[in-house]
Amino acid sequence: MSEMWINMGPQHPMTHGLWNLRVKVDGELIVDVDPEIGYLHRGIEKICEYRRYNEVVTLMDRTCYVAGIAWEQLYIMAAEEALNISPPPRAEYVRVLSQELQRLSSHVMWYAAYVQDIGLMTPFLYGMRDRDLILDLFQSYTGARMTYEFMRVGGVRNDVPVGFTDRCRKVMDWFDQRLPEYEKVCDNSTIFLERTKGIGVLKAADCVNDGVTGPMLRAAGVDRDLRRDRPYSVYPELDFDVAVYDAPDCYGRYRVRMEEMKQSVRIVRQVLDWLDRNPGPVLAEKVPRFVGTPSPPPGKEIYVERRGYPKGRGFSAMEEPHGEAMAYIINEGAEHPYRAKLRSPVFVNIAASKDYLVGYRVSDIPAIMGSVDICVGESDR
Amino acid sequence: MVETLYSVAHTLVVLLLGLLGPLVPGSGAYGPFLAVWLSYLVVGALVFAVSLVNVLVFIWWERKLLGRFMDRRGAMHVGYAGLLQNLADGLKLFRKQPFSPREADDLGYYFGPTAYLVISIAILGFLPISFGFSGGAVPLSLLVALALFSFAPLFIFIASWSSNNKYSLIGGMRTAAQLVAYEIPLLLSVVAVVALTGSFDLNVIVGDQAANGWFAVPLILGLIIFFIAMLAEVERIPFDLPEAEAELVEGWSTEYGGMLFAFTMLGDYVRALIGSYLIVLLFLGGWSMPWGLSSFPLSGIVFFQLKTYAVFAIFIWVRASLPRVRTDQLLQIGWKRMLPLAMVNIIWALALVVWGYPVIHWPAL
Repeated sequence: MSEMWINMGPQHPMTHGLWNLRVKVDGELIVDVDPEIGYLHRGIEKICEYRRYNEVVTLMDRTCYVAGIAWEQLYIMAAEEALNISPPPRAEYVRVLSQELQRLSSHVMWYAAYVQDIGLMTPFLYGMRDRDLILDLFQSYTGARMTYEFMRVGGVRNDVPVGFTDRCRKVMDWFDQRLPEYEKVCDNSTIFLERTKGIGVLKAADCVNDGVTGPMLRAAGVDRDLRRDRPYSVYPELDFDVAVYDAPDCYGRYRVRMEEMKQSVRIVRQVLDWLDRNPGPVLAEKVPRFVGTPSPPPGKEIYVERRGYPKGRGFSAMEEPHGEAMAYIINEGAEHPYRAKLRSPVFVNIAASKDYLVGYRVSDIPAIMGSVDICVGESDR
Repeated sequence: MVETLYSVAHTLVVLLLGLLGPLVPGSGAYGPFLAVWLSYLVVGALVFAVSLVNVLVFIWWERKLLGRFMDRRGAMHVGYAGLLQNLADGLKLFRKQPFSPREADDLGYYFGPTAYLVISIAILGFLPISFGFSGGAVPLSLLVALALFSFAPLFIFIASWSSNNKYSLIGGMRTAAQLVAYEIPLLLSVVAVVALTGSFDLNVIVGDQAANGWFAVPLILGLIIFFIAMLAEVERIPFDLPEAEAELVEGWSTEYGGMLFAFTMLGDYVRALIGSYLIVLLFLGGWSMPWGLSSFPLSGIVFFQLKTYAVFAIFIWVRASLPRVRTDQLLQIGWKRMLPLAMVNIIWALALVVWGYPVIHWPAL
């Protein structure tokens, strides 16, 4: 059989979203790869320029549909720097709680999708079921399961409800039991190990050259986690280890995510203890009023009015479940951001796909692309 | 002479013609001819009905059991415990408009899945589900069944190539490679059974097991090889590469919809049914049970079905707990592990024959 191009996508079970992986195959062997994204481009960065600061949070939820609250915080941190507002400590802790719960749910979702890609159906349902517990927690304090709209410039919308910490601790206890079970399902399966070990190798140097971040980078043995290396929020006060593994393949990425889930549970426990001890406000008092008032309906005010508020620029970088996400916001003294720019880790990880796909087989594509953990909403923005 | 389903049908048809014949003047000349063809029709309809009912219950069994393995309930709402869900699904597919892709080769596109299903159901005519209860008492019934069984890759390949779809083509290629690779260990592990019984007649094979104990005991290696090879032959996880949905959408049946898709699906389950039947017939004593349990009327059929469902439960269990292997790994397992093991199994079986293992041969009873 001669070489041929196959379009895997935009609608294909492997893609987990809406993108197109063009693969050139020689029989079963992958010769060339050409990822095409942009099917889910909604112009979020541009829309940000027409929304007041708090309204942008709604857009950020839609950026990544499995880790919405991570993007909320990413944006809010940049916006707060641009507007020169700092949130109260309790708000920071609630934010970190949300971050780690989101990381947990995102990784559980990844686990479920990944084992399904490899052909294991049972843990897929285990993962989805346990993820629901976290979504229930989110629902109890943000009111939503996917699109939270929870963060505000200068804090968060509301405090966690009464009895939340105990409920959350119970869920964490449950995860203490479940996470080893997840690992057992995969590690005791010879077929799983054969499907993942030595597959989709992207060595540390290549990771750095391609700008690949997150679990892929740490699996390659690079000890880098922005939570520790470029501390933000209250992470310096929390005690956790950075998960690093010394195998730049699918198996290494799986190990890193498994370890990160355990660390997330650890962080959540510490945050819960802190929340129990330290009551207080969750929203800063001095927030400019325009931040919270809704924008006029579209068409009424296309022209961005300059009101003469202090100008500023904000940059934030954080360890999102998929990798290092960054946001840059320019405040030109108007009610809306003058410009917002997001850096998506998934965008870069997909762009590097040629380096870790060529030379493997068509059967490896789901195993490899699954281990990258793709969220197309995030890469297309 | 074994009394077969055919002879029963023939008796009935002759009786019926004898009653109806006088009513139609001049029909006597066609009597024998009519009797033969009508009995074939009756046998065919019976085999078809038994296999389809079995397939429907198989799918239900898989849905329920798989659900339990995954901490959910499976089909629940249509009929008692979801028993009629498959019928509803089948009706839905039946109502769909048949179509073919514009660039597809229509002849192969329609012929492939149809022939796949027909040839699969035809095999069931040769597998006795109780003593003599088969379409025809062919002395070489096992050989015929296995020969028809290995026809499938041809039709799958025709279907996949005619679909004019890259996923289908790759799926078809994989099917061909996989089925050919696992056909050999499958047949070789059957050779061991044939060596012990000295017969290709499934009635004799079961009779031998009824007399000497199930072949699962002396030929445990053969049973394991046969089971694994059969998993690959019926394309189930961990060997469901031809329709690995993660990379090949739906594999060789990607372009099929409506009733043709139902044909591919039915064909898969009919083959799974045949696989379970063969395992029960060759290794698990067929319809025979120890302590004379199968001596009651119809109890043979019941035990045979129970064993079949137990074997299929293991198929489902494997599906619920194992991931999918890769193409090259699949072929490596087939050629490097299964084939030598099958050889060892044959040598072991021959050694048993030399030591005089099957103490009583069934025809001698």
